[in-house]
Amino acid sequence: MKKYFRVWWRIAVASLLTQFSTWLSSVGYLLGKLIRLFFFFIFIVAIFQHTKSLKGYSLAQTVLFFLTFNLVDIVAQLFFRGIYAARRIVMEGDLDFFLVQPASPLFRMACGTVDFLDFFTLIPVLALVGMTFSHLPEYLNFFSLFFYVLLVLNGILIALAIHVAVAAMAVWTQELENTIWIYRDLMTLGRFPIDIYSSAVRWVLTLAIPIAVMTSFPAQAFLGKLSLGWILFSFGLSIAMISLSLGLWNKALKEYTSVSS
Amino acid sequence: MKKYFYVFSLSLQQAMQHRASLLMDRVRSVALLLSLYFLWSALMQNQDSFLGYSRTQMLSYVLCMNLLRAFVLSTHAWDMVGEISSGRISSYLLRPIRYFGFCLARDFSQKVVFLGSALLEVFLLLWCLRATVYFPGSWRSVFFFFVAVWGAFFMYFFLAFLVSSLAFWTSESAGPLFCFELLLQFTAGVFFPLDVLPPYVQGWLHVLPFPYLIYFPLSIYLEKLPLSSILHGFMMQGVWMVILGWVAAGVWRKGLRVYMAEGG
Amino acid sequence: MSSTIEVKNLAKVFRVPEKSPGLRGALSSLFFRKFREIWAVKELSFSIQKGELVGFLGANGAGKTTTLKMLSGLLHPTSGQVQVLGFTPHQRRIQFLKQISLVMGQRSQLWWEIPAQETLKLNKEIFELGDSEYQETLSELVEVLELQECLDIPVKRLSLGQRMKAELCAALLHRPSLLLLDEPTLGLDVVMQKKMRQFIREYNQRYRATILLTSHNMDDVVALCDRVIIIERGQMLYDGELNRVVERYAPHKLMTVDFQSVVDTERVAALGKIVSNGGSRMVLEIPRKEVSSVASRLLSQFPVVDLTITETPLDDVVRRIFTRTLEK
Repeated sequence: MKKYFRVWWRIAVASLLTQFSTWLSSVGYLLGKLIRLFFFFIFIVAIFQHTKSLKGYSLAQTVLFFLTFNLVDIVAQLFFRGIYAARRIVMEGDLDFFLVQPASPLFRMACGTVDFLDFFTLIPVLALVGMTFSHLPEYLNFFSLFFYVLLVLNGILIALAIHVAVAAMAVWTQELENTIWIYRDLMTLGRFPIDIYSSAVRWVLTLAIPIAVMTSFPAQAFLGKLSLGWILFSFGLSIAMISLSLGLWNKALKEYTSVSS
Repeated sequence: MKKYFYVFSLSLQQAMQHRASLLMDRVRSVALLLSLYFLWSALMQNQDSFLGYSRTQMLSYVLCMNLLRAFVLSTHAWDMVGEISSGRISSYLLRPIRYFGFCLARDFSQKVVFLGSALLEVFLLLWCLRATVYFPGSWRSVFFFFVAVWGAFFMYFFLAFLVSSLAFWTSESAGPLFCFELLLQFTAGVFFPLDVLPPYVQGWLHVLPFPYLIYFPLSIYLEKLPLSSILHGFMMQGVWMVILGWVAAGVWRKGLRVYMAEGG
Repeated sequence: MSSTIEVKNLAKVFRVPEKSPGLRGALSSLFFRKFREIWAVKELSFSIQKGELVGFLGANGAGKTTTLKMLSGLLHPTSGQVQVLGFTPHQRRIQFLKQISLVMGQRSQLWWEIPAQETLKLNKEIFELGDSEYQETLSELVEVLELQECLDIPVKRLSLGQRMKAELCAALLHRPSLLLLDEPTLGLDVVMQKKMRQFIREYNQRYRATILLTSHNMDDVVALCDRVIIIERGQMLYDGELNRVVERYAPHKLMTVDFQSVVDTERVAALGKIVSNGGSRMVLEIPRKEVSSVASRLLSQFPVVDLTITETPLDDVVRRIFTRTLEK
């Protein structure tokens, strides 16, 4: 465990140095991400100048949903960024090096790069989450906070499962291009509370592509709107998805054919 | 003229070949379309109007935004960045074809594909949700709308061309492009009608070219603007078109000189 | 088991999807995929003792790299047994991976945008090397490989030769007792190739490391290996001393001579068999023992501009062995 932390740290430093070497591009990405965060935040605040509630949620509550979406999304980006290069890692043979070195190739692949810029977006998001909590004192207690944190972690775990599955497919077929981007675009459906969608869409987003479980459930649990049954369902779902994706990954490694040099 | 038609048809075929990346582009749009559509329909459940938009108008804004985004804000100009850094651009310059025209034809093919897909998406959504679309009361609005869309088309073409030309000076334009595109989409009114913003921010934005890309044509379509504002908008589109076209051509020529001087 | 590598009846079959052309073909292949089976390695058996330096030869596509990848645990064998250092490679046990290294010429594990130093530090953590151990090995490698200035420069600004040396440095940091080299001299210039060979030999002797290298460059093998394994189409063709292969199948060296002007062909032919004649450039086939005497005679009797001596191309050697085995 300690070893993996040290390896992660070296990868992080190397990634940071890489980003420094193309600082102009990095600054552009960072600014873009901050602009997106800022404008959507303004948008939500502006909407509530003209309405009192969104499906029964107040401004602070809606903002909490939005921030939770960002939290799960950014943390997944920060830690599993490497998957975005899965195809390149396989095609250029980097995976071969991962496989012959004594560290988990899955870890090497997922954390192959660390996007430090996401630290800069994560910090304001965390600060805003704290501020939002203070605007919702009637909901704030040990249990609500506990379940919020637990479900955010659970959401990150589901994101991990999806990333692992995508990596496995990349290793296996060597041709699935950009699958992870489709996940990322679908993920934006979780930007607003899941309650806005029609029931059919809600079911799809809960059971088929569990974006609601990742982004909306934590906030719902905090606001006391999620039954214990659904909380247990979330944990069951993430465990099932993780084991499924790990199975897929092991199978993929067995079928791995390496690329000819 | 014929050769530009060939570029158009070749690019069209290429787009069909790269279905995976087409799918990706469209999934992004569909996700945005769905989330915005449901957001507004949830917001307007309990109130008949929002910022002067009726329920039908607001939902039509989102639906038509998807179409306009596909037609106006789609471009192959970002390919130019790759072509410049890999040096492939020289091969275009050596052929008896104008790069400007080449890009226009290539963009047009992208727009046709995207628009086709966007129309399908909107119809599917309408069919599934049995929603109604706002239709302008007078043909004059329809006419003005189409004029504004073409104005927006050229403005965006020049703008994208201009921004991509920056690749002549730096190999790291990917990040700035990402940033620019997001800023443009917000200020053009893709994510929300600009009426949502405080009036002073709106006034400030309307000096920039961006609102005239999406928000302005849609406002005409939804008949939210008096004739005087429409004419004022056309004037702004015209002025910006000239400025952007002129600057884009100048920057391109200058960039090309820098590029040639460095030996590509 | 005493040998470092023990391979028995090893086979690897690749299933390659057959693609039919056109849109319809692409669509139908989504649902009904036809596969073609390719035997990359077939019934291969050999064993290698500790400290041996073995050349693994064969034409392109003969199955060298596939075998190497199975030995390092990258690929799961379809059938047969592999034991390396007492481990089954594809189980990829940490203790096994800490003892081996795989270097693939023209493939890089170095981070491109930043100095190689950073990759080395990363490998230090991956292989769990102690600080003093790391420093000691590093300074040794830096000295032997003449890497002094190269480690602080972004990898993308290094020359190919420098990059290859940095690559070796990263691969040897944990002092592997088994080194698998896949085409280590591919793309390097002659001087660099020579240095690389020197280093490989030295590493073998200094650490008593077992080294298995593939190459399609005969010079590599002649300079380094006492023993060669030659495979063709995934099957063993020859396993034994290099000398015997050389004596029997490559008794000649090739001498390429550039003359100042067109010379009398017959006078040259008296010195050796002319393989190709381009007027002022000729290629001669000279028996090994006579190489130096012929060279000096050429230089003294003709206006020679340039003269290079090379081994018979490996492909020719393999072809000769192959036809011989078929005759048997």
